[in-house]
Amino acid sequence: MAATRRRRGVNADSLPRSGRIARSVVLALGAVAFLFPFYYMLIGSLQTKLDSTTSGLLPNPANLSGTNYVQINDRINLFQGLLNSGIFTGGVLVCTMVFGLLVGYALAVLQWRGRGVTFALALLVQVVPFQLLIIPLYVLIARDYGLADNYLGMIIPFAINSTAVIIFRQYFLQLPKELFEAARIDGASELKLLWGIAIPLVRPALITVVLLTFIGPWNEFLWPFLITKNQALQPLAVSLANYITNVAATASNPFGSALAGAVVLAAPVVILFIVFQRYFISTDIGSSVKG
Amino acid sequence: MRRRTVLITAIVAAGAFALTACSGGGGSSGTSSQHGPITIWYSNNEQEVAWGKQMVASWNAAHPKEQVKGQEIPAGKTSEEVIGAAITAGNAPCLIYNTAPSAVGQFEKQGGLVDLSKISGASSYIQARSGKVAEQYKNTAGDYFQMPWKSNPVVIFYNKDMFKKAGLDPNNPKLSTYADFIATSKKLVAAGVAPNAILPAPTSEFFQSQFDFYPLYAAESGGKQIVANNKSTFADQDGYDVADFWATLYKDKLAGQEAYNGDAFADGKAAMAIVGPWAVAVYKGKVNWGSVPVPTKEAKPASDVWTFSDAKNIGLYSACKNQGTAWDVLKYSTSKAEDQKLLELTGQMPLRTDLATTYADYFKANPAYKAFGDQASRTVEVPPGPNTVEMLQAFRDAWSKSVIFGKQDTKAALDAAATKINTIAKQP
Amino acid sequence: MTSTLAERQGVVPSSGGATPGRGRRKRRPLGRNPLGLLFSAPYLLFVLAIFAYPVGYAFWISFHDFFFAAPGAQVARPFVGFTNYVTALTDPAVLRSFANVGVFLVINVPLTVVFSLLLATALNKATRAVTFLRISYYVPYVTASIAVVAVWSFLFNGHGLVNSILGPLAPSPSWLINDHWAMPIIAFFVTWKQLGFYILLYLAALQNVPKELYESASTDGAGEARKFFSVTVPGVRTATVLVLLVSTVTGANLFTEPYLLTNGGGPDGASTSPVLIMYQKGIEQGQPDVAAAIGVVLVIAVLIIAFLQNRFAGGRD
Repeated sequence: MAATRRRRGVNADSLPRSGRIARSVVLALGAVAFLFPFYYMLIGSLQTKLDSTTSGLLPNPANLSGTNYVQINDRINLFQGLLNSGIFTGGVLVCTMVFGLLVGYALAVLQWRGRGVTFALALLVQVVPFQLLIIPLYVLIARDYGLADNYLGMIIPFAINSTAVIIFRQYFLQLPKELFEAARIDGASELKLLWGIAIPLVRPALITVVLLTFIGPWNEFLWPFLITKNQALQPLAVSLANYITNVAATASNPFGSALAGAVVLAAPVVILFIVFQRYFISTDIGSSVKG
Repeated sequence: MRRRTVLITAIVAAGAFALTACSGGGGSSGTSSQHGPITIWYSNNEQEVAWGKQMVASWNAAHPKEQVKGQEIPAGKTSEEVIGAAITAGNAPCLIYNTAPSAVGQFEKQGGLVDLSKISGASSYIQARSGKVAEQYKNTAGDYFQMPWKSNPVVIFYNKDMFKKAGLDPNNPKLSTYADFIATSKKLVAAGVAPNAILPAPTSEFFQSQFDFYPLYAAESGGKQIVANNKSTFADQDGYDVADFWATLYKDKLAGQEAYNGDAFADGKAAMAIVGPWAVAVYKGKVNWGSVPVPTKEAKPASDVWTFSDAKNIGLYSACKNQGTAWDVLKYSTSKAEDQKLLELTGQMPLRTDLATTYADYFKANPAYKAFGDQASRTVEVPPGPNTVEMLQAFRDAWSKSVIFGKQDTKAALDAAATKINTIAKQP
Repeated sequence: MTSTLAERQGVVPSSGGATPGRGRRKRRPLGRNPLGLLFSAPYLLFVLAIFAYPVGYAFWISFHDFFFAAPGAQVARPFVGFTNYVTALTDPAVLRSFANVGVFLVINVPLTVVFSLLLATALNKATRAVTFLRISYYVPYVTASIAVVAVWSFLFNGHGLVNSILGPLAPSPSWLINDHWAMPIIAFFVTWKQLGFYILLYLAALQNVPKELYESASTDGAGEARKFFSVTVPGVRTATVLVLLVSTVTGANLFTEPYLLTNGGGPDGASTSPVLIMYQKGIEQGQPDVAAAIGVVLVIAVLIIAFLQNRFAGGRD
């Protein structure tokens, strides 16, 4: 379905030549605007000595080295940080996948009292900024649940991504009802329906949701920063934020070190995204627009 | 059937989780007679980490049953945020060797600190070690919720090479009065030796005023606290003069309005810096520096100049179970021998009476620190109480607007800040 | 208001759960209803604990003299009515932060809508290098703010690349410490960072615009520009409403950028945001009660704006 919808080009041919050139220029300019800071990040992170003039735009072999990265690794255990980020993000992914699929299925396929209210709640959660909840959540999780300095405490506020729930619901809604009816008559349980029929049919949604959900905890700074006091437990975003704001100033090239930190943090997501980008297609999200 | 079992198991598991989660909270506080292993935090700069590690190692070697786990203070923009959050969560360590006096009032109000005065012999220990200076660290009721530990009396460092290049005398720089300081700054910038004469952080964090206004006001007023008896004192002629002095530096582009992401003094972006004794170790081999006391309006002999203390103290936190051990470690780590190690490893000044005579050998061997040792007896602390941070923030906001960015008359801004701080000071 | 709403909504499904709906299968006397509830129970529990309860708690805090205390410490927390709201709303710094978000939205929302629709339309018709273009557009969105903020401050600081290129044309004081430029720079930054997501939304919406509309417009002799305004723009209105809504919420959420890019809302409060003030008051200055009051005001403001946007831009959809 997605494939046929994306087949286009009819309109492209209708454009006159000048229009096509204009379009290409717009697209190219956009790409430059989006990619340039990343290019500059990489160059800056490799500069032994800061060069913020225009000549610093091009790599100068005499001024390139991995010093900034070495300096970071001396202060931060990058591997431990990556591992912590991985556990944090992984926990969120697992919870979102398991419970998000369940509730998405229930919202789309099953008839039960409270369905509308649950869906409304999922929407409301999106409107209220997370930062507003931080103070009460902190008291609740760190204090009442005693989960400070604990992976669980890090994961809980993000455990089930409501956007994921809405996307799942949308996908399950698009599945033909007859499929389920037939299977039910054969005596299949709802869990089996979900696992055996519904999930295999919405595989593209799963990948979209994994990517969308991944971005949140991987990049999250404020919450894990508040909840973890033990350096050995801090995700990379937190230890790098600390490095960039506090420690980089004492490095030999402060900006270079901050940029090297930025590269380390950005690289895993960008690589992951490039590898999986073909699944991250517009129609997946699009279906939630109509929700 | 199997499905239902799975579901029931899931629900029971969720319920059990919720129950255990709920019962996990609520820390029981210890008493001063309990002994056993404890955790401590120390500051995250290289020198203090070295001191902390050796202190912990030597304690642990002698006390196998009361092991201390030392850790760098966790990440955060300021240590105070981290400590405040840890108090609320009930997971603060026993001792924090980086407790800022500006935050102690708030921590006390939160119930996060142990009243040291209630530990037998503690008050006399503190007073015997620190002498009269200790008075500044009592709360309004006269109790110690912090152990005065070390200070970083603030002075002016200048780059001798830059002074020479600008044609100025590197050994007798003219920096003692406001007029001289500004004239010297102009020469430095005009000569192009550095883009800034001096560059204190021009950002709006509440604590930044401790490194521009505070030391100069202490010097100008002869050691006056900015808030006394719940009333601001700084909106007086001394305060106006200090503000005008800095405003001139900013207006004439002798000091930059944008924070430098790095160490401006080390990187040659500023010819002078306003620093504490930690700077001696930091700039060793990087900058050929000299030091002078902070300037005053009319020249004063160096022995009369007061400054900001930039003290860091030790707090004993109420989440601590083995408070008996914690107090013993506290005493151990502030003993004469450990204070000497602190001095040697960090160059920071233990808050001890008669520093210069107690550690005479050290100051003889390290003349660079002598200026700080002398200055250590004439330092001013931030106002005590639970609202210190709010007061300092109100002050900083006014300072930023008027002095740094010149959008308001400095006198009017200080007057307005004084009125605001008077209201804040009256809050419980 | 918001919290009571949330609580009421949160409570309904759990209390009404046992009621059977339209019983259907004979194998299950309770019908399918309880199962849906069971499937949703973890999520509902999650929303109650992580969303509804904190919202309610924040609401409660905002009406009391509240400060953080160590576990076990005995402290009085009297009810103080609207005192915290009065304190918050008479504080010029708080009002300034709301005004700043206003500036942010005025710049960010139109830029976001225009650029994302423009690029999405162009990308939709592109035939070459589509994968490369798509990656380049989405990369800022998937990268952590903290990482890209470092580059932006490298680019826009007084001695940064932008000023080296501009030379004498550079603003004085420089961008991030200029009170006319600090907030716009943050708005540009957020626009740049989030644009990929909105392009994605518009791309999806563009798939749903019937091709026949373009064809009949062509038959009527409409040019590209005309088609864009008479077919594309109305065709993606639902997405536009969503973009408006999401960017408003993003604006209300603004924290990391002023915290890191302008050193805590500088210069002189010109780039503070309500959430940043909440953080300063709540976490740094020990006044979570005032912070909570700001939060409640902010949520109400967002809900009102969202409602209005939906009402006027969304139409009957």
